[in-house]
Amino acid sequence: MADPGAASAPKPSSSVKLVLLGEAAVGKSSLVMRFVNNDFQENKEPTIGAAFLTQKCNLPTRTIKFEIWDTAGQERFASLAPMYYRNAQAALVVYDITKASSLIKAQHWVAELQRQASPGIVIALVGNKFDLASTTAPSDATSNGDDADATEEQDEEGAETDARKVPTKTAKAYADEEGLLFFETSAKTGMNVTEVFTAIANAIPETSLKGSRGVGGQTSLGRQEDSARVNLTSGRDAAGPNGGCAC
Amino acid sequence: MFNLSNLVQKAQQLIDPSLAITTPSSDRRPSKASLFRHQFRLPDNQSPLQEITAELTLSPHHTTRAGSGEVSSPEKERERPQGNHYVGKLHLSEQYLCFSTQGSSFLNTASLSASSSFTGQTHGAGPAGNGFTLPLCAIRRVERLHSQSYMFALAITTWNGSSDAKSNQPSSAGGQKLTIQLAGSRIACERFCDGLKKGLREGVREVDNLRAVVSQCYSDWLVSEDAEERRGAGNEVKKTREHPDTGLGMVFKYPGNARKLRDATKIRLWREYLRENGRNATLIRQPTFHKLIRVGLPNRLRGEIWELTSGSFFLRLQNPRLFTETLAKHSGRESLAIDEIEKDLNRSLPEYPGFQSEEGIGRLRRVLTAYSWTNEEVGYCQAMNIVVAALLIYMSETQAFFLLSVLCDRLLPGYYSQTMYGTLLDQRVFESLVEKTMPILWDHLVKSDVQLSVVSLPWFLSLYINSMPLIFAFRVLDVFFLEGPKVLFQIGLAILRINGEELLDATDDGTFISVLKSYFARLDDSAHPRSENPKLRAVTRFQELMVVAFKEFAGITQNTISEQRSKHKDAVLENIESFAKRTSIRNLGPESKRLSTNDLGFLYDRFYGVLYERQQRAEILQHEAERRAKSGRIRATEIVTGIAGQSAVEMGRVALGPSPTQMDYDAFREFLAGIAKWAVTDSPSPPPEPNGDKPSHSYFGNSTRNRSVSFSPWGSGPEPADHEFMRRLFRRWDTDMNDTLSLQNVVTGFAQVKGTKDIMSNISYFFELYDDDGDGRVDREGILRISEALLFLSRRGFEGSLSSSPSMQDFQSGSSPERRENRDEQFLSSISAFIRRCFEYADPDHSANQTIASLDHFSVGTDDEEEDLLDLSHPSPLSPHTKTPLPLIPSTTNPLSPIKEKAQKANLALDPNNPLHITLPTFRMVILADEILEHFFESGFSSSFRLHDAPLPSHASSSSNLTTFSNAGRAGTPGAALAAGASVGGASAGVVPPGKGLRGMLDNIVSDGMRVAAEVKRRMDEAQKEMDREARVGREDEEEEEEERGRDGELLEGAETADVEIGRGVAGDLLGVPGSVEGVGEAGRQRSASEASRKVVEFER
Repeated sequence: MADPGAASAPKPSSSVKLVLLGEAAVGKSSLVMRFVNNDFQENKEPTIGAAFLTQKCNLPTRTIKFEIWDTAGQERFASLAPMYYRNAQAALVVYDITKASSLIKAQHWVAELQRQASPGIVIALVGNKFDLASTTAPSDATSNGDDADATEEQDEEGAETDARKVPTKTAKAYADEEGLLFFETSAKTGMNVTEVFTAIANAIPETSLKGSRGVGGQTSLGRQEDSARVNLTSGRDAAGPNGGCAC
Repeated sequence: MFNLSNLVQKAQQLIDPSLAITTPSSDRRPSKASLFRHQFRLPDNQSPLQEITAELTLSPHHTTRAGSGEVSSPEKERERPQGNHYVGKLHLSEQYLCFSTQGSSFLNTASLSASSSFTGQTHGAGPAGNGFTLPLCAIRRVERLHSQSYMFALAITTWNGSSDAKSNQPSSAGGQKLTIQLAGSRIACERFCDGLKKGLREGVREVDNLRAVVSQCYSDWLVSEDAEERRGAGNEVKKTREHPDTGLGMVFKYPGNARKLRDATKIRLWREYLRENGRNATLIRQPTFHKLIRVGLPNRLRGEIWELTSGSFFLRLQNPRLFTETLAKHSGRESLAIDEIEKDLNRSLPEYPGFQSEEGIGRLRRVLTAYSWTNEEVGYCQAMNIVVAALLIYMSETQAFFLLSVLCDRLLPGYYSQTMYGTLLDQRVFESLVEKTMPILWDHLVKSDVQLSVVSLPWFLSLYINSMPLIFAFRVLDVFFLEGPKVLFQIGLAILRINGEELLDATDDGTFISVLKSYFARLDDSAHPRSENPKLRAVTRFQELMVVAFKEFAGITQNTISEQRSKHKDAVLENIESFAKRTSIRNLGPESKRLSTNDLGFLYDRFYGVLYERQQRAEILQHEAERRAKSGRIRATEIVTGIAGQSAVEMGRVALGPSPTQMDYDAFREFLAGIAKWAVTDSPSPPPEPNGDKPSHSYFGNSTRNRSVSFSPWGSGPEPADHEFMRRLFRRWDTDMNDTLSLQNVVTGFAQVKGTKDIMSNISYFFELYDDDGDGRVDREGILRISEALLFLSRRGFEGSLSSSPSMQDFQSGSSPERRENRDEQFLSSISAFIRRCFEYADPDHSANQTIASLDHFSVGTDDEEEDLLDLSHPSPLSPHTKTPLPLIPSTTNPLSPIKEKAQKANLALDPNNPLHITLPTFRMVILADEILEHFFESGFSSSFRLHDAPLPSHASSSSNLTTFSNAGRAGTPGAALAAGASVGGASAGVVPPGKGLRGMLDNIVSDGMRVAAEVKRRMDEAQKEMDREARVGREDEEEEEEERGRDGELLEGAETADVEIGRGVAGDLLGVPGSVEGVGEAGRQRSASEASRKVVEFER
């Protein structure tokens, strides 16, 4: 990602509205919880309507303050979703890699966003619950703590009863086709969670950033880096290495 | 604007003007029965039978002196000045005696003005006011007293106690006595008493239920325990009586600090109150009752009082075993709801220890599951888990189950439905109330683009349970169950008002939410921490909230809410519907991409429109049947809640919840009739007796025509035909083989028909329709059916959409009908040629059967062969629906045909003993050999389905032409279509307007052809029978086959043109004759049919 080096002492800061969508119980709230509090709860209450949280993400050139709308996943809450993705600049569409139907639902959400959400919205497709899959899948991103799985069903450590139902390839191919960022994560182990958010932060085009709210009055920022516009594809590539989230 | 009941009303006035005035169903206002039930929270089977003004007298301390037993009436009189007196209305329903000080009047004969008064301010007493709601079975005795001031005075003694009450001394059982003085004419009083007597007799049967239910009430335990204590140790046995289940709190502790909540004090106060005023079923509501509720219920009594104030107690009383029975009945079964429930069991109030245990989770599972079975439309919605979990802390599973029913059906209508329209609607209502009551804050919200509902939605959906600390949420619930849904709004408004200043500083969602979050966290703090006044300092923020909510926003009444709901309902429903439509169209899969978005939208509208209208008709028919008994109630629910009630007529509306999503064959016919004019029947069935009015109403924009009343089972739309082709199409599209079509099926089906412009694939599609066993061959029968279908499809031409407006029938322009006649003939002859060629080039199935000998043996009467061929074009049995009104007339006209040789060969094909088939290549060849058929498959067929642009009136004139077969051939040239359109006025539904001579004749040609075909069919069958009788020896005939193959080649080279010409000419001649001969009679008949349909039309207007 380009860095014009324009940042003076206080880095420009801007807020980004991000919405999480996906089938019920795929771990949307858990991802947010991991990202915001670096915490994981086994039995998280289902989200009613939506939950709102914020978290900052420090990039080399700027600070992104995520305003995260974590939505309810149950099918019938879908009609409430437009209320939440309204004006969102980024979306995390989450599915559960152990549940094939959740990817279908995720694809529906992507389609909905592409048609109805603000144009230029940055969408990341995220396959969660990587900890439940046997550790063969994404070769590079294996930062997972296998020991964290201890509490899970016993089949896991024993023979290969891989709970994974969605192959990485399938989802990745779909993501590429639609021009989405793609990650497999585990909110439980924390794997790839901050990376997702960092990648999104990097992929947000400068032009679509609003000026900061509250923080150290840089009124002129946001516009000064127009040259540094990031396109979606580079954002995807830049995902891993560039991570610098303050969390 | 969706206003079905107006339509119903109009319809009824049309049929029977007097009905509209007298029946409650025509009343847009809430019915009295419904208001009555809502006021006293009675089950849906209760209705107000009697009503009378009365004065209730309660002696202040009679139970404390209960030991004295019978209170004699003179004594009572003397006490009168000291007792509490309430003037109000006494109501009698089938099973209840209710008294309320809140103004009310429910009887049909009473004036309308008072009927909604209870929805106004209730001053904390709840809609039921002060008074009582006594199940008649709880009344032990009614005595008539002598009174000076009133003509009638009744002393009512209640059971007041559980099973042991009977065996026990009167001290604990017979204590409660109420005196009621009736004010009214002697006749009125006597009528009331008669009703009461009857009810009491009936009520005896319920006593067992009452005992069972009451024995589970904590109040009963509390009071009897109390009585025993005073009696001393003499009654050891009684002490062992089981403590009733008062929720998980008994085991896992109730939330909050009991001492701080002053639970013991509250229990003491309640015990006193219950002792004096009866308990559970016999409880009398005096002002203290409401005050006791306002300060918060004591833990163990909380569940029971919720039950009583919400009315779920009465549901339980009615069917105490429903919960366990439901569970038993469905045990082991699975459902989507159960899957969803399982997902959330572990995450419902997880911070409460009871829900980390199997016990708590088990209870939660059972209650949610049982409810999902009793109301499968709602099933399970997230947030229900939280609400039920909260209820279960204070009440037993059974109690929670019934309370959940009341919540979903009455208190929170539509909140947890499939589309959650209730939730969305109430958010709109809340927003508009904020705008009204706090305009400055509202402006600020709008300006800073903060969406209020993202904050407030969870408040309503989970009744503040996961927004506030539990103990405060329960306090809100205490009042909510007593006073109804308005409490949620009042609390919400108060929250915003109290935090108004801080909220005005918040400029984004984040700050807004965090302000409120921190407020909820500090609800327990002092509201005035710096006040000098220690009393003021002691007031907590929560108390402040309650005061603001119920004092400052006292003006928010149930009426306000209802009004606002009906105001915003349509916008909200439209939003949901457009969202559902969008989503559903987008998710139709790749096949759907072959159709345009407009077409998809149209199909969606048509699809659900048809299903909806069919449901409406069914519904209304049913209503008609039980109008007096039922309909009043249904529409009333709608008003009281502002939303259509459970079984309301609006059910089919997508946004209101699950509507049928599957189309059966009849619905499919109706669906097609709106899209393709060939699917409209030629012979509409006569209108049924004029009483069967069925107002149909369509709400989808596209299909909205102003219809009012229609007499046919098809609503006011055209009556669909029932043709074998339609059945085949249905079967073909029904890929899931479940005899119904989903939208997905229909769209995929259309994508195949309309999505391709490729003639070859169209031809093979058609072929496959008739290839029943999928072996790539269509047999003789199939060929005949195909030709019949072609005739069926073409009988109205192709370019047109149907126009059913009467005015269209009158429109006729003068351009040459002869031309059209020619075209019709052309098409007929094409089909005739088609059959001939099919048989000519068909492959024999078993060559052994195909012999010259068979030819010799078989001859179809003396008829000319050519004639037979023609007849064959439509020989399969016509269903009664498509059959022309004419009876079958044996065709005796046999114009001679000169083409002997050909005929002979073709005649071979007629031989049923010569099984043969055509393959797709043959079929294709035969089609391509004829220009008209070629055009039909190229475009005519697919354009015979009119999608999104169909209903546009601008198209009507150019596209309403009928029977212009040539249009099929010239689909591509708009000029031709226009000309044709101009030449014919659109006549609808195959009904020939009287006096349209040539047009009628043309139609006759078609129907005549069909008729003749049927005749041939019959004769063929006869021949078949005959042949069956003669055991016949088949002989090989390979040469024949060889020869045909050779011809195939020729044909493909286009050498067939001459042949085509000949065939066409001949067929045309042949057809022309019977057509014109029969035409006269035919036209006469059809005229009468069309007159009948005109009557209908006029009636509709």
